[in-house]
Amino acid sequence: MMIKLLLMLPVAISLILFLLRSKKLNQAMLVIYSVLYLLSVFYIWLVPQEQSNDLFGLYFRVDALNVLFLLVLGVVFAGMALYNLGFMKGLDVSRGSHTYYSIGVILFVLCMTGTLLSTHLGLSWVFIEATTLASAYLVYFNKTKHSLEAAWKYVFICSIGISLAFVGIILLSIGTGHINSLFFDGLYSQANKIVPIWLKLSFAFMLVGFGTKMGLAPVHAWLPDAHSEAPSPISALLSAALLNSAFLIILKLYKLMELTHLDDYARTLLFTMGILSLFITAVFIFGVKNYKRMLAYSSIENMGIITIGIAIGGVGVFAAMLHLVGHSFIKSSFFLTSGNILNRFQTKKIGEVSGILKIDRVTGWLWIICFVGIAGLPPSPLFISEFLMVKAMFIKQYFFLAAIFLLLLTVIIYGMGKLVLKMSFGDVSPQHTTLTQTGRTLSWHMYVPQLILLAISVMIGLYMPDVVNKLIQGAATVISTM
Amino acid sequence: MIGSLILLFALTTLYMSATSRIKAYIKIVSLQGVILFLILFFRADNIFSLNFIFLAVETLLVKAVVIPLFLSNVLGKSAVLRESDPRIPNFYSLVISSLVLFSGFIISNLHSDIFEQITPLYFGISISTIFISLFIITSKKNILTHVVGYIMMENGIFLLSLSVAKEMPMVVNMGVLLDLFIAVFILGLFISKINSAFEETNIHSLTSLKDYGDDD
Repeated sequence: MMIKLLLMLPVAISLILFLLRSKKLNQAMLVIYSVLYLLSVFYIWLVPQEQSNDLFGLYFRVDALNVLFLLVLGVVFAGMALYNLGFMKGLDVSRGSHTYYSIGVILFVLCMTGTLLSTHLGLSWVFIEATTLASAYLVYFNKTKHSLEAAWKYVFICSIGISLAFVGIILLSIGTGHINSLFFDGLYSQANKIVPIWLKLSFAFMLVGFGTKMGLAPVHAWLPDAHSEAPSPISALLSAALLNSAFLIILKLYKLMELTHLDDYARTLLFTMGILSLFITAVFIFGVKNYKRMLAYSSIENMGIITIGIAIGGVGVFAAMLHLVGHSFIKSSFFLTSGNILNRFQTKKIGEVSGILKIDRVTGWLWIICFVGIAGLPPSPLFISEFLMVKAMFIKQYFFLAAIFLLLLTVIIYGMGKLVLKMSFGDVSPQHTTLTQTGRTLSWHMYVPQLILLAISVMIGLYMPDVVNKLIQGAATVISTM
Repeated sequence: MIGSLILLFALTTLYMSATSRIKAYIKIVSLQGVILFLILFFRADNIFSLNFIFLAVETLLVKAVVIPLFLSNVLGKSAVLRESDPRIPNFYSLVISSLVLFSGFIISNLHSDIFEQITPLYFGISISTIFISLFIITSKKNILTHVVGYIMMENGIFLLSLSVAKEMPMVVNMGVLLDLFIAVFILGLFISKINSAFEETNIHSLTSLKDYGDDD
């Protein structure tokens, strides 16, 4: 029932918005829908759902794994919608663009929800491709040359990647032989009958395909461009929700690999892409001149860390899930804060921004706290997850891997920290001194969502409530069946 | 009959890598749509089933008519008619594509029991088509050519899905078609925008977003 609501309501809302085209209604609907979304996700989580066996219930289902992803999406979406109230006030956009933007966000969230809930590999594919198409306009929203370039790369690279994933799906259906099912449950129960060589081939194709969407190196090329050119609330959604949705499909496939005892092969591929993602970030973080690109590279890094966590197995899986939750909350507030800075300084260049604290104290501290969170210093949940991952590496005696992992993390933290501190402290550059005098403040909508998201993260990092622990533990046990 | 149609399909991919007129590219993907329909027609047991009718509409209407017409329309608005100065000269891309196609043939003639589920000729040609399209996308510079390469890749994937005896569920088929259609539509719109914003549709104009190097 709730699932149907989640998938039907947005279509109806989009239609209403399209017909009425009112800015106030757009704003209100986005917030109302996000709150409804959050409530229904909580309802789905806390009240056990009975399985319906109609066509709808067959293709869309909630389990212990995707409920975690749904919750993360719900919280991030609510934060983004609240922030959007203040963000849109500062922009001068036409009624049409405003409407398309709101419809785009709602459909984008719908497609991600579809990806998360889908029980069928083919249907997941359809939805993940639809996320690209729904968010194309959102990336292009600023309508500058740069955003056009970013949107083109985003749609084109992701479509090619997703096509390769479809090749993987066909190869898998060759390998399944007489089992005529691409439902994940069907695949799991018949796992031992799948021909290994086809499964291996198909996993490689699908990892590249869905990995493109997840932003794993070496197929991450679209990510820094799209994240930096999209409006900040959209960047937050892209980084904190879209990448997770693609990751969920990879996770489900990884489980299939475990069940067919091909997990060594899958692990090797995941390790390679994970370490490569860390490496690419470590190299490029020193060359970035745009602070939103810096955050985008950090997303690539964190996706790499999560992938490595899954590949280690054991307690690493739990750590990866915790990392995913923490990263989503902290990174979305990081991107939202970058919107405040952009609003104040009207530039994305790191070189032209300094002394944020003197111009806007709250934004400055948010910027620093988000960095502390992403860097994995306590009390960030990322500290616990990274610590657990290193511990898992020691248990499995991957000492060399642990050394590289820690080295790359340190390099990345140093690279980011240098830039973040330079931007926050120091003197206000001459061209921005007028900003200190005007004393113009941003609306409270542009501070509160970040504060809430960070507060949740700190709570998870310091003292994890039992329900949250159970939730993450539940998701982790679904994956590590062995 | 089906065998010769598949060979014809393979030949179109070679022509694609050898020519440089964008209009010819569009004609080729249209022709590929027709060939795919004929392959479907000759192998179908029951041409009145819902699935067949759907696939016929997909190939004959969407792939052979609607998408090419739309691309011609986009092409008409841009001044570029020819793929100029490709990264790899046409002659060499023909050689490379032929080698890929040749290895596709070799794969399809391997007699192995892992192939028991599929028709080898379909498999070899479609896999090589997918790789040739990727090669065309990377070696040519006009973004309209890139879109044509993407559609050719989708055609290759369609052929690959025909090599499997099983059918995808209808809902998935429909979703795939819808996604492909919207993707091409959005890309086409972006090409028009790029054309007016940059006054050319070459990927050279799309290099301002980067990390190392000078700011523009």
